[in-house]
Amino acid sequence: MRIRTIALLLTVFGMLVVFNSAYAQNAPEASEKGKEVYENSCAHCHGVEGRGDGSAAENLLPKPRDFTRGLYKIRSTEAGQLPTDQDLFDIITEGMPGSSMPGWETALTANDRWEVVAYIKTFYDGFKENENPPKQITLEGKIPYSEQSVEIGKELYVELGCVECHGNVGRGDGTSAPTLTDSWGFQTWPANLTQGWNYRGGFDTEDIFKRFIGGIAGSPMPAFEGDSFLNFGLTAEESKRLIELENKDEMTEAEEEESGQFYEKMDTAVDIALSIKEGAEMSTTQMQTYNDAMKVVYEKSWHLANYVKSLMPEERPEPAIGNNVLRSQYVQGELPAFDDAAWETFEARYFPLVGQVVIEPRQFNPTIDGVHVKSFYNDTEVVFLFVWDDRTHTTGDETDETTQKPLEDALAVQFPVKVPQGPTAPKPYFLWGGRLPVYLWHWKASTPDQVTELTAKGINNAETQEAQGELQVQSAYTDGQYKLWVKRTLKTDDKKDLQLEPGVFVPIAFSVWDGSNADVDTKLTMTSWYTFTLEPVPSSRRFVYPPIIAILSVGLLFGLRAFVQRRNTEDV
Amino acid sequence: MKKLSLFTICLIILIGSWVFLEFVVGGIISVPIPNSVIAMYMGLIVIAILVHISVEDSQFREFLRPIHETLVDDRRRVHRRVLVVLIPLFLLGYTYSIIAQRANPPGSPRDAHPSPPLELTYKDEGIGTMQDVVNPFRHYEKDDPEAFKAHVENGRRVYHQNCFYCHGDHLDGQGHFAPYLQPLPANFQDPGIIPNFQESFFFWRIAKGGPGLPAAGTPWDSAMPIWEDHLTKDEIWDVILFLSEYTGYQFRTFGEAH
Repeated sequence: MRIRTIALLLTVFGMLVVFNSAYAQNAPEASEKGKEVYENSCAHCHGVEGRGDGSAAENLLPKPRDFTRGLYKIRSTEAGQLPTDQDLFDIITEGMPGSSMPGWETALTANDRWEVVAYIKTFYDGFKENENPPKQITLEGKIPYSEQSVEIGKELYVELGCVECHGNVGRGDGTSAPTLTDSWGFQTWPANLTQGWNYRGGFDTEDIFKRFIGGIAGSPMPAFEGDSFLNFGLTAEESKRLIELENKDEMTEAEEEESGQFYEKMDTAVDIALSIKEGAEMSTTQMQTYNDAMKVVYEKSWHLANYVKSLMPEERPEPAIGNNVLRSQYVQGELPAFDDAAWETFEARYFPLVGQVVIEPRQFNPTIDGVHVKSFYNDTEVVFLFVWDDRTHTTGDETDETTQKPLEDALAVQFPVKVPQGPTAPKPYFLWGGRLPVYLWHWKASTPDQVTELTAKGINNAETQEAQGELQVQSAYTDGQYKLWVKRTLKTDDKKDLQLEPGVFVPIAFSVWDGSNADVDTKLTMTSWYTFTLEPVPSSRRFVYPPIIAILSVGLLFGLRAFVQRRNTEDV
Repeated sequence: MKKLSLFTICLIILIGSWVFLEFVVGGIISVPIPNSVIAMYMGLIVIAILVHISVEDSQFREFLRPIHETLVDDRRRVHRRVLVVLIPLFLLGYTYSIIAQRANPPGSPRDAHPSPPLELTYKDEGIGTMQDVVNPFRHYEKDDPEAFKAHVENGRRVYHQNCFYCHGDHLDGQGHFAPYLQPLPANFQDPGIIPNFQESFFFWRIAKGGPGLPAAGTPWDSAMPIWEDHLTKDEIWDVILFLSEYTGYQFRTFGEAH
């Protein structure tokens, strides 16, 4: 009886799995329903005809996908192949982080999403012409994450030229980063590899691996395939040896011959790869050569994927909301200097930024993700360290086309002049104040050792304070990251300054400009109000009262026992 | 099985009730219950237990028996020694955690339904009283469906060029800027939003934005822009038509529709 029940359950489960996978593979035939859902939910960005030119497209970057060219970024299929239906379904379901494409899991039923997949495919004839299903990337032979693999990947990162776009440590700040355009001619930025949460197709090692093998179609990111992969056809050791030979000023005759052999080997492999791409028939030995060469590519890709994975934190930093506020830590004596190791001990608070869309000119497409902030204070001073990623170091050498103002990177930290008393007291308007004034520290990349103090009653109504020089400043730009160190006394003589004291919760907000994203004036990236406090030194009472209470409780227990004992004797 | 003592039963009832309130009612069945409410229920349960055990003298002695035994009986020596260590340790840790607790910022109370002014204006131009103003294009819904559709489509355009960054593609308040804003942008798919307001109220909130909110009930940290600076009067009315058309919710009306 029991065995039969289990067998029945297993059969039902098995059928469900089979049914689900069969269902998951392919979209239904395109229908009126798909058109209806598409036009109601997708067309405003992707356009009624799928050209990526909906009414919202104008203000978006990255641009909504143009479906008419069959170029899809996030695929599980090999280079040059179309995505599977499941790929399209997954993107619609989960959305593309770091872009304006939301996930539709809750807004559309699974059925509707499949209908949309079918409809989207009608925009590109290639889907009809291709009778064979697209070739999927195999994930067999995955090299597990290990420090050793990360080391190999790190070398490959330089060797394969990833540095040129993605920068030395992966912040998307490579030398060619500002020059990149996509297949439609729109500007595009290389991914900041340290911000996994913005990867359009997910940041698991497998996801990263698929982007290498399949490429990111329509973007400058190449696929790792025969005709473009460095030293294709050589083993990892041979490839290293060749690079070594190529770097020599002069080669001996034997070395010339050695490298010649390598080139020959590579030529053969690349020729085969190109022929396979064109669909030519290959002999068994040729296929063997090709497969051996691709095996090397796959291995290198796994190592590289492990390295890229090592560059990012496990999760996106939590925004500093709720009780997760920025708490300046008390230290006795001297505050940490700009490059003091003490900063490492402070876990930064994260302030994610959004585009400023309230006042013209507006910024709809921010390029700065957020600001990390740390802070210490002592009896007389407070010091902050602001850290943010910016792909380019722009210092005002170029000017904005419309305003003719110099374009440069900058940051402003905003406080109210007077801290609101109590939870219902109004704060100044979050965008540089209004009726109630705000106090700002304004730093610009062109004057990196200087922070100007401003008082503002609105973003177009800011004035430089007469009394300057109360702030000590140091800053640096390294590998796509700004670090700004600002120190001030807790109290100042200036009535327009914020006065600080421990235990008070102070509103704090940020404005950031990215010169290379044409940020100027009110075109900026910002936060609304967050909270910061000088965390009071914990009371020493915490070492006094608890032991007293513990000792008292012991006394009480013994007293109680004595009492009961005495009563027992009396009873007897 | 050994019969449970009255003391153990009372203990089980107490702990069981707390687990039930905190995790079953306040987790599985419904949203978390405030601590003060739980404290009130627990108080009632304690009183009930006290009443129950003190009805008869024998009952009360039966209840106290395990306590007596633990305090003086030699067979309970091990229990006693464990408790005389555990109870003070618990109190030590508990008082420390209370004293060392750090202060948290005050919450930010907000009024979900700010009261609008009596007069509706666009920039400085008066439109009428909040109570009486209706959407000038609403009547097309019956009179001229084609014109109505054109207005809704224009509203759709306006929405996706201005609003969807925060309020989302699906009008659910989950645009790509939304997670970093406090308070969160309005969710028009919430059945408690559109049906509770007149179109004139929406016009006011859109036209005047966060800075136009009344002083009463502050702090208003809304990041909602002052849209009369960017949109025409007709565009605002069109986008309001789009909001109800897309979500399928009807705005509130008073009396007979005009």
